[in-house]
Amino acid sequence: MTDKRSIDDQDFKEGSLNRRDFFRVGAAAGMTAAAAAVPGTVMAQTSETPDGTIHWDYEVDVVIAGGGCAGLTAAIRARDAGASVLVVDQNYDLGGRMLHSGSYLSLGGGDAIQLRDMAGAADAEGFITVPPAEDPPELDDNIELLFTDVTDWSVVDAKAQSPYRYNEREMMRAWAENCPPTRQFLMDNYVRFTRISGTHGGGGLSRARAPYCFLMLGDRTDIEAGTITAEDAGVADPERTSPFAPVQMEDATSFVGPNAVRNGVALARPLEYSARKKGVMFILHRSFNDLIRERPFDGRVLGLTATYSPRVNPDTGIRLESFWQLGNVDDRREVLNIRARKAVILASGGHAGNPEVRSMFYPALRDPAFPTSGSALQGSGGQDASALKAALKIGANMAGMQQNLSYPTTFHISSRLGTRDAYTDMMPGHPTFVFRKSTGVAVGNAGFEEFIAVNQVGKRFFNEVRLPKRPGANRYPGDGAAPGQGLDHTPLDWRNCSAEWIRKSYTYDHGLDAAVALNEGSRAPHYYSGPLWAIFDQDAIDRTGWEIRFPYVSEENGYYFKSDTIDDLARQIYAGHPYSRVPLGHLSTTVTTWNGYVAAGADPEFEREKDAPMYAIAKPPFYALSIMVIWHDSYGGLRCNGRQQVIDMQGVPIPGLYAGGEAVGGFNKHGLGKGHVQGFIAGTHAAREL
Amino acid sequence: MPMHGPSAIAILTLSAGIALAQDSVDPAMMEQGAALYAQHCQICHKPEGQGTASVFPPLAGSENLADADYVVTNIHNGVVTMPPFPWLSDVEVAALANYVRNSFGNTYGGVTEAGVAATRADLEPVGQVRSIWDGVYTQEQADRGRAVFNSPCGLCHGSRLNGAPDDQDMRPAPPLARANFLRVWNGRSLGALLSYSRMTMPQSNPGFLPEEDYLAIIAHMLATTGVPPGTTPLSLDIQELGRIRIGPKP
Repeated sequence: MTDKRSIDDQDFKEGSLNRRDFFRVGAAAGMTAAAAAVPGTVMAQTSETPDGTIHWDYEVDVVIAGGGCAGLTAAIRARDAGASVLVVDQNYDLGGRMLHSGSYLSLGGGDAIQLRDMAGAADAEGFITVPPAEDPPELDDNIELLFTDVTDWSVVDAKAQSPYRYNEREMMRAWAENCPPTRQFLMDNYVRFTRISGTHGGGGLSRARAPYCFLMLGDRTDIEAGTITAEDAGVADPERTSPFAPVQMEDATSFVGPNAVRNGVALARPLEYSARKKGVMFILHRSFNDLIRERPFDGRVLGLTATYSPRVNPDTGIRLESFWQLGNVDDRREVLNIRARKAVILASGGHAGNPEVRSMFYPALRDPAFPTSGSALQGSGGQDASALKAALKIGANMAGMQQNLSYPTTFHISSRLGTRDAYTDMMPGHPTFVFRKSTGVAVGNAGFEEFIAVNQVGKRFFNEVRLPKRPGANRYPGDGAAPGQGLDHTPLDWRNCSAEWIRKSYTYDHGLDAAVALNEGSRAPHYYSGPLWAIFDQDAIDRTGWEIRFPYVSEENGYYFKSDTIDDLARQIYAGHPYSRVPLGHLSTTVTTWNGYVAAGADPEFEREKDAPMYAIAKPPFYALSIMVIWHDSYGGLRCNGRQQVIDMQGVPIPGLYAGGEAVGGFNKHGLGKGHVQGFIAGTHAAREL
Repeated sequence: MPMHGPSAIAILTLSAGIALAQDSVDPAMMEQGAALYAQHCQICHKPEGQGTASVFPPLAGSENLADADYVVTNIHNGVVTMPPFPWLSDVEVAALANYVRNSFGNTYGGVTEAGVAATRADLEPVGQVRSIWDGVYTQEQADRGRAVFNSPCGLCHGSRLNGAPDDQDMRPAPPLARANFLRVWNGRSLGALLSYSRMTMPQSNPGFLPEEDYLAIIAHMLATTGVPPGTTPLSLDIQELGRIRIGPKP
């Protein structure tokens, strides 16, 4: 960490060659600088509500709950329109899950990147030196086609669910219309896009619509110049992650050219940089709790309350601090009431990290043993259903309640073992690594051929080889008369969901359902199914080359165990895992029985011999790595109209309340494209409120 | 794509007195052929011989298969992007020819081992068949492969080549190294591996890397598997690659 230094207003106005140092300033200095340089930003001290009962700690035009892809986009958009904007985020840093994403940003409708690649042109800065990955006809898109695609009733996925049929139509129309301007908006805020390569899940089938976001490796990290150091990108050392990039950036050579790197860092950090530079204010370490409305189910939304929720390193007791500080307001009072003169925008994520709310969709997934993705990066406040809970309390309606079941990333078994935070491969060096303590061992689906999987009592429950298989994404292999993607896709054609095609494409494997089924250890009232374990021996390591060492596993966090005997392994798991509720009483018998199956060449319980070779678990030491279920997406959520206004139970917009991203339901679209466009729309209209 | 139907060569062979094709189909040959098909052909021509549109030609309903000599020649020599299988024995080639000519709705009749032997007598001999363990690639090639692998391939196959995607949005893919790779590709040739890779990978944009890079990636896969390098690089000659077979460490 470099020394923090103060800057004066002159520095701020003229900018600095070293943008990274520029933003590494004390919170107080940053706040002063922003307030002085951007006169419209008013930090009200106190004001009274019309009925005089509420003490307001802050007052701005637009208050945004959550600083992820929807929130940051909305913040910049509203700020561009002249509004004063305050973002409240529960985490210590900005970016939400956008920061750990792959940055695969599916928009379309004839957006600027589609046009650029169709023309075979490079980017304005000339970073892109590779030719387009998609042929011009695959990129020839328009808003009508995009709207048709994302409301296409005929499309079924490999789980025989229909991803688009139930989408909210007014919202989808607005989304399609706003895709091109959102693409341009992101480009205007330092986001650089690679060549388009395919379409991201839920972005429609007819055309290629998704590029990644990239930066170029260089000798300094400079968002405006588009460069990042190897150290900041996390590519200098394969076992280090930087505080700047919670996930090591990936090679983007084939989509840009040599020295290009990509992932959500190249999307989140540029937007954060732009927001801070434009004078958006941030209160971090603060959980959004409740909305304040004029009357319980009536009148305008006036503001919100938020509670201090510091993220503190459990080993050192020191509070984590954001990478950049400009615009941060460091207020540590317990509860703050924040008034929004124009509107509140809910962008604090979905419910994937809230087991009690998940229970509404799949009761077996109420087990808190299973987190959402990014649980270390985001902490317990990530995806905690705060927007849903607060809006329901003031009368909001919901949408897309069944759509959680129609995309494979909603919930699935991860093939990263040995860590609770099993979605990303964050390494030591990031401030939140302490919350996971191990990176995990990524074994792929094929790795499941190397072990047996057991439940909380030590019993096998499914064919391990099929356990991690997920129904395919919303993609359809073009194959003769069957539905295809790209130019092979015929929108609205009944044959897309003909019985014949469904029989052919249906690939649902029920491993996850078996994993969370009742077992002998399930106890009233919750009947939790409990944690899952991969059990293997030394031979498995010799076969696979798995690196069973720090940082991939940790002997401290309770997600990895090793012993010379199976009995002791079972004892260690029960004693050492935070969610072990019952002993693994069956583990020894299970291993003995399995070894008998291996000797006989047949697995009468799950017929695993049909899928892959079976290996005895016989050569000590023996190992146990946790297998995690991850709930990632939230497709059920708040109902919104085409302006991203939240709709109440009477079908009427709640005045002064908008929502975007994972908080919103009725839009089966995985990932970033939903959040950015909805944030763009919400920011546009929130700033126009009187 | 084959451009011609029953050929003059077939007629010549018949006139030489050895009947390559016959009406009856030996069930044992069909069984052996099915197993060989599953190992060597199915990956591209698919389980029902349907092929992959505009990538791998279908065998189901293909009139080219009516010409038994054509079938045997292509199995032995390869054709266009199809790798050669010169090391299959005459009885194995006969079994395969029987299988593809009489499956997927095809009814072109049987093929005899003696007939296959006669046809192959006119073709280039097998040549030296090597194993991947005979020092078939160079370290420079593998280094090049390591450099170009991550961006297009690591997304799904993982930078450790173990099928754990670098990109969390991607579905896990088959391992490209170590025991699992050797097992799945056991008995197949590097020619098959190169052709399959070039025609299908990366899935979003098959074939967009230079041919040399596909070869370098194969060298990287071998190096990661623990296969020792040699002094001569892998060649782009499909005949040559078709004679290098994948198998467990001797």
